[in-house]
Amino acid sequence: MTERVARVSVRKQFWRGVWRALRRRPSRLIGLFIVLLFIFMAIAGSWFYPERLPYDAENIYAPISWEHPLSTDFEGVDVLALVITGTQGVLLVAGAAGLLTMLIGTAVGLYSGYNRGIGDSILMRIADFVLTIPGFPLLIVLTTTISLGSWWKMSLVLGLIGWGSLARAVRSQTLSLRERGFIEAARGLGLPTRHIVTKELLPNVAPFIATNLLMAVTGYIYAQVGLYFLGVLPIDTSNWGVMLNAAVFQSGALISPDALPYLLAPLGAILLLTLGVVLIVDALEEIFNPRLRES
Amino acid sequence: MIEGRGITKTFHTRGGMLASKTVTALRGVDFAIPRGGAVSFIGESGCGKTTLGRILAGLEPLEGGSLIIDNVDVSALKPKAREPYFRKIQLIHQDPYSALNPTRTIESTLRDPLRLRAAQTGRPESWVNEQTEHLLSLVGLNPGYVLPRYPHQLSGGMRQRVVIARALTVEPEVLVADEAVSMIDVSLRLGILALLRSLRETLGVSVLFITHDVATARYIGSDGELYVLYRGSVVERGAAETVLAGPVHPYTQCLLSAIPVLHGLEKPGPDRLVPNEPLDERKEPPGCLFEPRCPFATAACAQRPPQLGRLGDTIQDHACLYPATRHVVAVPAGHGH
Amino acid sequence: MTITMVKAPAVSISGLTVAYKTDAGELPAVSQVDLELAAGTITGLVGESGSGKSTLALSLLGAVQKPGRVTAGSVVVDGIGDMAKLAGEELRTVRGAKIGYVFQAAQNSLNPLKTVGKQLLDLGKAHKVRDLKGLLRHAKDLLDRMGLNADRVLDAYQHELSGGMRQRVGIMFALVLNAHVLVLDEPTTALDMITQANILQIVRDVHKEQGLTTLVVTHDVGVVAEVAHKIAVMYGGRIVEHGPVTQVLAEPRHPYTRGLIHAIPRLTGDISAAKALPGTPPTLGTIPKQGCVFRERCALRMEVCETVEPPAQRMLDGRTVACHAVKEGAA
Repeated sequence: MTERVARVSVRKQFWRGVWRALRRRPSRLIGLFIVLLFIFMAIAGSWFYPERLPYDAENIYAPISWEHPLSTDFEGVDVLALVITGTQGVLLVAGAAGLLTMLIGTAVGLYSGYNRGIGDSILMRIADFVLTIPGFPLLIVLTTTISLGSWWKMSLVLGLIGWGSLARAVRSQTLSLRERGFIEAARGLGLPTRHIVTKELLPNVAPFIATNLLMAVTGYIYAQVGLYFLGVLPIDTSNWGVMLNAAVFQSGALISPDALPYLLAPLGAILLLTLGVVLIVDALEEIFNPRLRES
Repeated sequence: MIEGRGITKTFHTRGGMLASKTVTALRGVDFAIPRGGAVSFIGESGCGKTTLGRILAGLEPLEGGSLIIDNVDVSALKPKAREPYFRKIQLIHQDPYSALNPTRTIESTLRDPLRLRAAQTGRPESWVNEQTEHLLSLVGLNPGYVLPRYPHQLSGGMRQRVVIARALTVEPEVLVADEAVSMIDVSLRLGILALLRSLRETLGVSVLFITHDVATARYIGSDGELYVLYRGSVVERGAAETVLAGPVHPYTQCLLSAIPVLHGLEKPGPDRLVPNEPLDERKEPPGCLFEPRCPFATAACAQRPPQLGRLGDTIQDHACLYPATRHVVAVPAGHGH
Repeated sequence: MTITMVKAPAVSISGLTVAYKTDAGELPAVSQVDLELAAGTITGLVGESGSGKSTLALSLLGAVQKPGRVTAGSVVVDGIGDMAKLAGEELRTVRGAKIGYVFQAAQNSLNPLKTVGKQLLDLGKAHKVRDLKGLLRHAKDLLDRMGLNADRVLDAYQHELSGGMRQRVGIMFALVLNAHVLVLDEPTTALDMITQANILQIVRDVHKEQGLTTLVVTHDVGVVAEVAHKIAVMYGGRIVEHGPVTQVLAEPRHPYTRGLIHAIPRLTGDISAAKALPGTPPTLGTIPKQGCVFRERCALRMEVCETVEPPAQRMLDGRTVACHAVKEGAA
């Protein structure tokens, strides 16, 4: 009974610490706000807009107004609506790929770093191999052989080619933690390996995982948008990359000033989301380190 | 009772492709730790004392020699079967800052090993709670204050007490304290030393005290045995007070001579001794290892290594061909000057 | 000979306060410190972690790092002026050339990628030494005196030197530009007993040969007892007692000094004579804002200690003690 109370209070303490770390610098709150805004757009976008966005051929590349704050595209579809409905696909793929990266990278890194030996050697060779794969060209090649149109296939491929650097980072952290007194003490007390890895090691590598993960996620956003932009993926969903592709290749936004908002809107969305992520990364070390959290 | 016979250990450091260096850390060390007793190992860094402690705690694999824990020759067992024996020997790390997990509260740090212990010994869950508080009180901490805190919120002295409490969760027979107070503030050290001393009485736990600070070794184990290690072998062994008051091995004499004298409070010992040259670990003399540095070495010393024994009718064991008692330790200055 | 006999300068610290900016405001790590380092003496500055001893040593060098700054007082070195007021190029020339600093033995203060000799030449160039050959000669001379093979050491990289050798190289670097004030920060921490004794002997010899005014900063009373003429005991940013080493050790007056000395186990005599000091030393944030900083741990605590900070009183025997309970003639 007392223990549950204690646990709850520890958890409460943790979240209070997170909030304090975020509040310490306004930039972090801005970052949090940006990321939450995009998540909200991803979730709520489909509630506000119909599946097929209304178009108005009479009103293409409309001047910026209250009705169309970010102008309209070549079919007269509201650009803001396109950005908002495009968020879901981008975040879903980046998030799912990130989750996969985190699971594989963390598991491999922890196992390699803690057990070392032959398993470590094999896994690290694989990680190095994965790291040397030129990700983006591979994706382009893959799209020609298998369809990467569905979000889960896309996530799977991104996640599978992206875990190498996270595994390396987690492993090197684990290697140095392994020699620390508290890990040796846990071994000396006879605590099971499962406990040592999950309760002693994992919380200490968490900031590295989180930082690497967020950076990987921004990478996945770029990759995915890039593929759509190059037009190697079927243009059947709303996506920021699709918008960029249409703006450049159909509307000639690079030469026609009328279509400029159509080009800048998705670019701005990508930059803003990246900025939000970067601003939050700054707070991660303080969130996971109890010493920095409270002071 | 824990006994070591002829413990050896060699480290192989891989240099370049061909340069493989071997460092001999222990060259056949015999020792015995009686139940509830105190044994001190003193020596300089690189003498093997830390390696010995780590071997005892099961953190460094056994190499040569045998280790007997409660009448079982652990060195004959399979690595997996050794674990329960090594659990009876708990190491207190030198650095109380890295010895506690910074991301966990003291409560979870203590509870996990206790819960494991409860499961192993068939004790109820309530024992875990009682024992957590009991152990903290035993090491002189206030459970209400310490339990919800993270390590960084405690002073070095408090942390070291938590480390000791954690070692006690598995009801060990021996605490191996390796330089356990060297990183703690001077005014707090004695409290930790006194705690280790009192644990010997209250719990009957023995203490193996490993240090370069001879005076702290005396404080912990003045009634126990003192071992002087030099480059992996024991050069002098005997009752702590005997060895300190009248060391017979020149190395022991040099080591004790180097301890600062609190001028004003103490006078230097009359026979203070300084080695001829600094330690050169690359030298592997065929005879006595201390021979190149020894002020009293003769040709015979360079012939073959002397054995630990009582040559010359000394009270303590030593490994020197020419044992001679010298008074090197500072003596209290009488008042009046 | 390149050694010119300069009279060792005296150092006089008065009313020095060094504060660090923290979330809780600007907190003093060193508060209103008066300390006189007489010319040609070795002073041992003893204190535990958080006592402010390292900050005090750095202010002697004008090297207090941000977020800290000297908020009041002066550090006057004979022939140089107030270190707290020097800045920029002027300060850089004074450091090294006039005041030598030897970093903690535990720290790696040498560049691991350059030989000792190369670093020596860098130092010479940085200080615009024209006669680099002379500098090299002087360095070799110093190393020889400290019992090292000078040529081998100058060709060596940091990792090829033992702890004791590095420390001697550190002393050489501090003195090679003819500094006459030497500050040693924890010179023997992490060194073995025999090496420590060796280094302390070298400090004594070098001090005498080079005509220095030396400050040894340490947590170890034994180190001070071995090398110093005078001891200054620091606690909570204050110097609580200052006087000749043998006198202070034989008859400590301040309750903290007494507690500290009694808390050191000895090699002879009754073991149970050693008594632990209750409580813990304060950190920057927990130093009391008013009254005596030691009162929480003090057996002689009185009402006045709560509110009035004890002033440093000069005793008849030349000692300075900052304690309400110590009255002249009581000893």
